[in-house]
Amino acid sequence: MRKDRHLEFYITNILLTLLFLAPFYWALISSLKPYNEILKYPPSFFPAHISIESYRDLFTAGEGVFLFFAKNSLIVSSLTIFVVCLISIPAGYAFSKLKFPGINILFLAVLSIIMVPFQALLIPLYTLIHQMKLLDTHLALILIYTTFFMPFGVFMMRNSFDSIPNSIRESALIDGASELKVMIQIFLPLAWPGIVTTIIYVFMQSWNDFIIALIFTSSKSAMTLQVGLMNFATTRFYMNWGMINAGSIITMLPILILFIILQKYFIKGMLAGAIKE
Amino acid sequence: MTKNKSILDRLLFDRFHLLERPLFKNNLMNIKIENRCLQSFIFLLPVILFATIFFFIPFIKVVYMSFFKGAILGESVFVSLDNYKILLEDAGFWRAMGNTLIYAIIVTPIIFIPAIFLAVLLNRKTKNVKFFRAIYFLPVTISFVVASYIWNWIYSDIYGILNYLLRSLHIINNPILFFGSTWLARFSVSIMVGWKTIGFSMLIILAGLQGIQQILYEAASIDGANQWQKFKFITLPLLRPSLTFALIISVAGSFKAFDHFYIMTGGGPARSTETIIMYLQKIGFEYYKLNYAAAISVVFLILLLFISVLQFWAGRFNE
Repeated sequence: MRKDRHLEFYITNILLTLLFLAPFYWALISSLKPYNEILKYPPSFFPAHISIESYRDLFTAGEGVFLFFAKNSLIVSSLTIFVVCLISIPAGYAFSKLKFPGINILFLAVLSIIMVPFQALLIPLYTLIHQMKLLDTHLALILIYTTFFMPFGVFMMRNSFDSIPNSIRESALIDGASELKVMIQIFLPLAWPGIVTTIIYVFMQSWNDFIIALIFTSSKSAMTLQVGLMNFATTRFYMNWGMINAGSIITMLPILILFIILQKYFIKGMLAGAIKE
Repeated sequence: MTKNKSILDRLLFDRFHLLERPLFKNNLMNIKIENRCLQSFIFLLPVILFATIFFFIPFIKVVYMSFFKGAILGESVFVSLDNYKILLEDAGFWRAMGNTLIYAIIVTPIIFIPAIFLAVLLNRKTKNVKFFRAIYFLPVTISFVVASYIWNWIYSDIYGILNYLLRSLHIINNPILFFGSTWLARFSVSIMVGWKTIGFSMLIILAGLQGIQQILYEAASIDGANQWQKFKFITLPLLRPSLTFALIISVAGSFKAFDHFYIMTGGGPARSTETIIMYLQKIGFEYYKLNYAAAISVVFLILLLFISVLQFWAGRFNE
């Protein structure tokens, strides 16, 4: 009876696993087929020949413009992560350990950013970025991403610091350490799981964003991978499925690799983001 | 300045350490508090600046803009509620609203029913649960853009794998155009979204399930309850907060739909799958009617805030 149930559990799960992974497999296989095999009927499930034609053409088309998109995505995401950490760690620390008149209201105000859909603010943000003469720059994306992803960081860091006992801080202060020193030398090493979760969350959100990048960038100098892929698919590589699949694989690769290594933090971040959203 | 303060602390400590503790603590606290206020402010300043410049001011501005009319260059004219009056009679807006609502109604069960099934399936103490959970969660991590392209290729008319499978199983004779008609397009997009987001709802429901104490089931067993009774009287009531919660998040998500419709259907056929955000993006950034788009934003904001309030309320319920 018990064994039967175990078997049932595994069979169901393995079938579902195949179903969930099938689209990934199909994209990967299609990206590795030679061009003449992609458009073949009936389609082959296991390619007779593996070819990197699609990838080669993806990277060389238009003087390597796709690599440019990848570079832009990497710059924007990593700088957003950096700024979010830089500002949300001290803020989380202050919200957790320090006193300030109206600090609770301020905390709610920061959290209210999560409650409001950023899509509703695209129009005034566009006029603001236009006035700042920052349209079509990395900085525009970094500023907007930071604003909308930092509340998660603040919330995450406050929770991390909350779980560290106050007595450590007090004794360090009595020993004459400054608040900044206490935060960096004592609290940061203890709060790293919160920092990793924040980094993962911000990376995933900024790497995957489409609409903000679509509206605020227009040339290859600032366009990120998601918008670049869409541009390729609708103009240069229209209906060239080998290259579209290769582009999709490259675009999702960094996230998938990170997910395989740091799965726990992805799940933690998504749950925390959902529960307080 | 801070150095002086800490020397002062030291002195106080040296002078009072012989006195009884409460007095010493109070004195130290009073001196510290002043110091702390300034420090807290410095610690909080960057977050306050970002929130003010890129959130609170734009938030006020979007409402303000919606009462004006004007070109990108030149003076804006105050028109009070004119933009909203136009909105009420704008067929395009209401069509987008209707499309979004229909999409939300279709996609919610497509996400929800499998998510509950998967959560119940994975709610056990076997070693490989984490592995399967990761697999179902995998599509959540990729972007909607990539997911849309992967599925566009699957749905492709002549060379698409799905058409091939359906044809070889003799379910259909001629290839289907999955984005060819309104309802089929809605379902095709919804199935892709299901694949992409089931893992997320599953995670929330699974967390809810794991929060139910095993001892309740044991007690019910002793009282002679069967599987169904246990599900009805223990699982369901205790799971309701997580379910409500996952439901509201998913509904709010469907109202913000943009990327996948933009890429998969482009709003077609005949604008029948155009969502609110697509309409907003078109009015604002293709026609550059910024003030009118601001009015659309405000209506969207009110709609979503209403959903958010529900969400917050459900979150409270959770605790």
